[in-house]
Amino acid sequence: MKKVNALILTGFGLNCDNETAHVFELAGANAQKIHINALVSGKIKLEDFHILAFGGGFSWGDDHGAGVIQALKLKDHIGSDLLSFVAQGKLIIGICNGFQALVNLGLLPGLDNDYTKRTVCLTFNDCGNFRDQWVHLAANLQSPCVFTKDIQTADYPVRHGEGKFIADQEVIDTLLANNQVVFKYADIQGVPAKGAFPLNPNGSMEDIAGICDPTGRIFGLMPHPEAYNHFTNHPDWTRKTQFLKREGKTLDQEMTIGVNLFKNGVDYIKEYFF
Amino acid sequence: MIYCIEIALRKELRDAEGTSLIKKADSYFGINIQEARCINIVTIESGLDHSQLQVVKDEILTNPVTQVSSLKPLSIGFHWCIWIGFRPGVKDNPGATAMEAVADHLGKSFGPDEGIYTSKRYCLKGDTLVRKDVEKLASELLSNTIIQQFKVFSIDEWNKDIGADVKPAKVILDHTPCFEVINIESDEQLAKISDERNLALNPRDIPVIREYFLDSKVMDSRKKVGLCEPTDLELEYISQARSDHCNHNTFQGIFRYKDASNNEEVIENSLFKTYIQDPTLKLKDKKEWVVSVLWDNAGVGRFDGENNYVVTGETHNSPSNMEAYGGAITGIVGVYRDPMGTGLGSKLFMGSFGYCVGDINYNGPLKPPLHPRRLLDGVIEGVKDGGNKSGVPTTLGQTLFNPGYMGKSLVFVTALGIMPNQVKGKPSHEKKTSPGELIIMSGGRVGKDGIHGVTASSESYSENTPAGHVQIGDPYTQKKMHDFLLICRDEGLIPFITDNGGGGLSSSIGESAMISNGCVVWLDKVPLKYEGLDMWEIWISESQERMTIAVKPENLGRFMELSAEHAVESTVIGEYTDTGKLHIKYKDETCAYVDMDLLDKGFPSWEFDATWLSPEIRGLTEPVISSPSDFNKLLLKLLERPNLSSKEWILRQYDHEVQGGSVIKPLVGVKHNIPSDASVTRPVLTSQKGLAFSQSLLPWYSKIDAYHMMACTIDEAVRRVMAVGGNFDHIGGLDNFCWPNIQFDPRKNPDGTFKAAQLVRACRALKETCEKYEIPLLSGKDSMYVDGHLVGEFGERVKVSALETVQFSATSVIDDISKCVTMDPKVSGDLVYVLGVTTNELGASEYYEAFDKTGLNVPHVDFDKFKVVYKAVQTAIENELVASCHAVARGGLGAHLSYITMAGGLGLEVNLSDLPMDASRGELSNETVLFSESAGRFIVTVSPENKNFFEKLFKGMAASCIGFVTDLHDRLKISALNKETLIDLSMEELEKAFNKTFGDMI
Repeated sequence: MKKVNALILTGFGLNCDNETAHVFELAGANAQKIHINALVSGKIKLEDFHILAFGGGFSWGDDHGAGVIQALKLKDHIGSDLLSFVAQGKLIIGICNGFQALVNLGLLPGLDNDYTKRTVCLTFNDCGNFRDQWVHLAANLQSPCVFTKDIQTADYPVRHGEGKFIADQEVIDTLLANNQVVFKYADIQGVPAKGAFPLNPNGSMEDIAGICDPTGRIFGLMPHPEAYNHFTNHPDWTRKTQFLKREGKTLDQEMTIGVNLFKNGVDYIKEYFF
Repeated sequence: MIYCIEIALRKELRDAEGTSLIKKADSYFGINIQEARCINIVTIESGLDHSQLQVVKDEILTNPVTQVSSLKPLSIGFHWCIWIGFRPGVKDNPGATAMEAVADHLGKSFGPDEGIYTSKRYCLKGDTLVRKDVEKLASELLSNTIIQQFKVFSIDEWNKDIGADVKPAKVILDHTPCFEVINIESDEQLAKISDERNLALNPRDIPVIREYFLDSKVMDSRKKVGLCEPTDLELEYISQARSDHCNHNTFQGIFRYKDASNNEEVIENSLFKTYIQDPTLKLKDKKEWVVSVLWDNAGVGRFDGENNYVVTGETHNSPSNMEAYGGAITGIVGVYRDPMGTGLGSKLFMGSFGYCVGDINYNGPLKPPLHPRRLLDGVIEGVKDGGNKSGVPTTLGQTLFNPGYMGKSLVFVTALGIMPNQVKGKPSHEKKTSPGELIIMSGGRVGKDGIHGVTASSESYSENTPAGHVQIGDPYTQKKMHDFLLICRDEGLIPFITDNGGGGLSSSIGESAMISNGCVVWLDKVPLKYEGLDMWEIWISESQERMTIAVKPENLGRFMELSAEHAVESTVIGEYTDTGKLHIKYKDETCAYVDMDLLDKGFPSWEFDATWLSPEIRGLTEPVISSPSDFNKLLLKLLERPNLSSKEWILRQYDHEVQGGSVIKPLVGVKHNIPSDASVTRPVLTSQKGLAFSQSLLPWYSKIDAYHMMACTIDEAVRRVMAVGGNFDHIGGLDNFCWPNIQFDPRKNPDGTFKAAQLVRACRALKETCEKYEIPLLSGKDSMYVDGHLVGEFGERVKVSALETVQFSATSVIDDISKCVTMDPKVSGDLVYVLGVTTNELGASEYYEAFDKTGLNVPHVDFDKFKVVYKAVQTAIENELVASCHAVARGGLGAHLSYITMAGGLGLEVNLSDLPMDASRGELSNETVLFSESAGRFIVTVSPENKNFFEKLFKGMAASCIGFVTDLHDRLKISALNKETLIDLSMEELEKAFNKTFGDMI
């Protein structure tokens, strides 16, 4: 059977490549971890893949702006390959540092079909520090985002110092109007946080946690869905297990909402490319 | 040409760094700043033309959405401006990445006279600011003169065309590398040279060194390579190898231990051998899961059928006390190289921290190099950058406050790795060097940084301590190397690997060449950060992020190809031989030629007198404090104490779930804000198994007897790991000793013999506890000089010594992580049990400390009784009989019932009269049972339907149901021994107290 090939970038300080590859495998893809230099040198061809994942980490130490040097390097060396990958309707996901790289490449938000322009930024958290915490996310059901199909709410961890989403108000308005805002930081009921810390952990405008391009095939988010690859990743799993046990049930140990997100991407490729 | 590019956030955007500066200036110094903006300055020394500079500025350094930038100083208004830059030679990580980016983007290579440097300036507005305040902020908050320089400008002094006038912070040595021959005509002469050159040679080693070099056979063989008397490099090599840091002279030393109560003297020939090595080797034979201990950079235990885990821990105290950020980041990045250099190399999967600092609100006359508050800020940030940027989760950590640590604060860092148990069909934990293999140095370059680090850390801090050994770790460079080396390992390219830490190449090559029995090193091949280093400096520099690797000549091509792909610098710098000689050359000249077995030439052991004065002889008694009448107020006051209150803000700054294997996090409970007993991590994402990890620090008990300090510390670490679901048959130990100076000196260290006796007693407890609980010591380290000589009010120097401290960490492999348990009560109606006996053991407790008392009744560990309970806890968890489990620790039941109440978010009603109690160590009152720190105890909640099974399991053991969990209210209600209400506090009151001290910190 044909496999969906996912390329997970590695090297230069990226550090979520193993678990990102792992979730893609759980989601049914064939995941390969590829060093950025292997793409730069042409040893590996981007065109051989269906999904490109910009994972989390500290590329180039996050010096001079998170994701900035990574974006520049890819633009300089494989910029046109990236644009043709997009043009072929393949999928790109950027998580945390990968999201930062996507906005610096201009692949997001991709307004007016321009995939090279930097119009949004992920900047220093309002709280002034790096922060690791789990967040509640409310998904925009009208969003064209391929990865969040049928996802209404999700809990994932954020782990960043530069995750505050900002842009000019017109850009924000356009993103909202186009339903390009995919995930908002929310409370446990799924009601947007309205900027309240720590529900909104970084002060993002409009509680924006993730956006997609107008086609929904390029997706970037600050929270880490790949860190919810197993039911024991969730901070409340021991409590949930006890509640269910008292009702004579056991916790669903199958697919987490983290893996689900990647499976949506893999299923999309199966549907449209095979 | 030199150009400066200034970059700042657009003015309508919030400047988080500026905001934080305003807050700290106010809370630390009461200095009022109205507005603070931060400007990044990138100084470029290069032949770039104007259009290239514009490209660098606009396309690399400026974010068009958020930033403005200029090739001229930005005109941002201020009353005062502070410029901060690195001193020459200090690692400038952003400068290095900027060079990498510019080189890649412009397709340009940088010559030796070109470079990029970063610095910052802060524009401050404030009507009331005066120069003195601004200089205080510059020197005591924003910079550390050891690594940085600053300039302060008033608006009148500011030249808007040249701005801060930043010059490249480059090192120019203007020195032709050389080596010297040292005159060793007499012991006195060599001792003098040792002092002058900061060699820190032990006077008792000096005759042995001289004897070797004056031996006619040795002289003859040296003549053939053009040498006669020892070179400076050779003496430096011996000094490094014989330092306490590398050679553990204290633990290998001879102790004359005398008990003052009966004057009986016992000779201890080697604490290491008797109390660490022997019991561990015996346990290794007994425990099949123990794979490799006591010789490599870290210990190795079995994780599952395919993988082994690796664990080690370090302290990085001396550097952190002078430059907290640099010391701590270097510490964590450094300890992460140990698992990378264990066996054929392991992949890091978690780390932890332990900080012991002085009173952060100290305002007395003593002047430590860094105020405890500033030191803690810097240390936290150093481990944050080092750990997070390494991509390794920091899954656990503790912070502890005690005035003794103002003399020297402690920074513990622990690292765990995982590796396949076989590489190309051979065991991965075995490694060796063989003649003909090339010596390769990978990673960073060598500079003057870190010279004499090991000898400095083997001394107490004094005005003569060289500051040059403070460095700034570079996790980015190391992470690239980590990824690269794992691929080399899997391809079978690495027969031997070790890290360059203390002692640099001198240690890594010196030790690895003992396996092949010789080496030739070509020092001129070692890549340098800047020219002009003498040979001995290249040899012993502790420049970070370097590994030493043996590679067979036929594999060199592939190794170098992978190295280039991963953007890691690797260089062949020598060859392993079997000549029996350590032969070091620089170009054609030999600068060292000594026998590999030189270090076995009968160097004398260190000797210590140790006199034990029991607490009774020292006159310790229980304090006289009558029963309090307001227990509500008392409990809240205790929860506010720094050692019991929330330190959530520290843990939140650390990525504790990167790599996707987090099972039990460092913070748990309904609000995810109560410190967990232990962490559990899945290092292998496809496995159901988990690695449980805990650590414990109870230095206060050393005030009474370090024997019980040690026993209780291990007991607590064991209970913590058992509380989350640990396996009692698989507990690995890691001991990190931090001790004040134990060498008696009537003037400088009059209580040295007592501290030496405390060390012997702690080691005895270590052995006994590990034997009883069957804990092999997978790894351990010691740091022996935790004293400081602090300047006082009148120019005097006062010695401040830390408590005798051991951080003990425990590892356990959990077969099925879905059985893991957290400490929070979960369901209303569940029964609350306390396992283990509460006795009158308030000695050195938090309760007594609140009254400035010490007492006498330090907690004791009853190994045989306790371990029966621990095994039953394991059975109960494995059979899913418990809903929550928590080890009772510092602060006793009072503190820990509060923690679990907050963690569960439910009400709790308990009766003290139902506790398992024992009056054998003294009368029991409400305050004794509530705040006694008796070891061996857990608080467990159990569903009523499991009551019978559970009670049957604990039949005959100290285990009682003391109350229940309820959702009818959210209060902690504790009934006294006489069953009257003793404590009745709401969740809100508990949380307010718990968060009062540090709750507003982020």
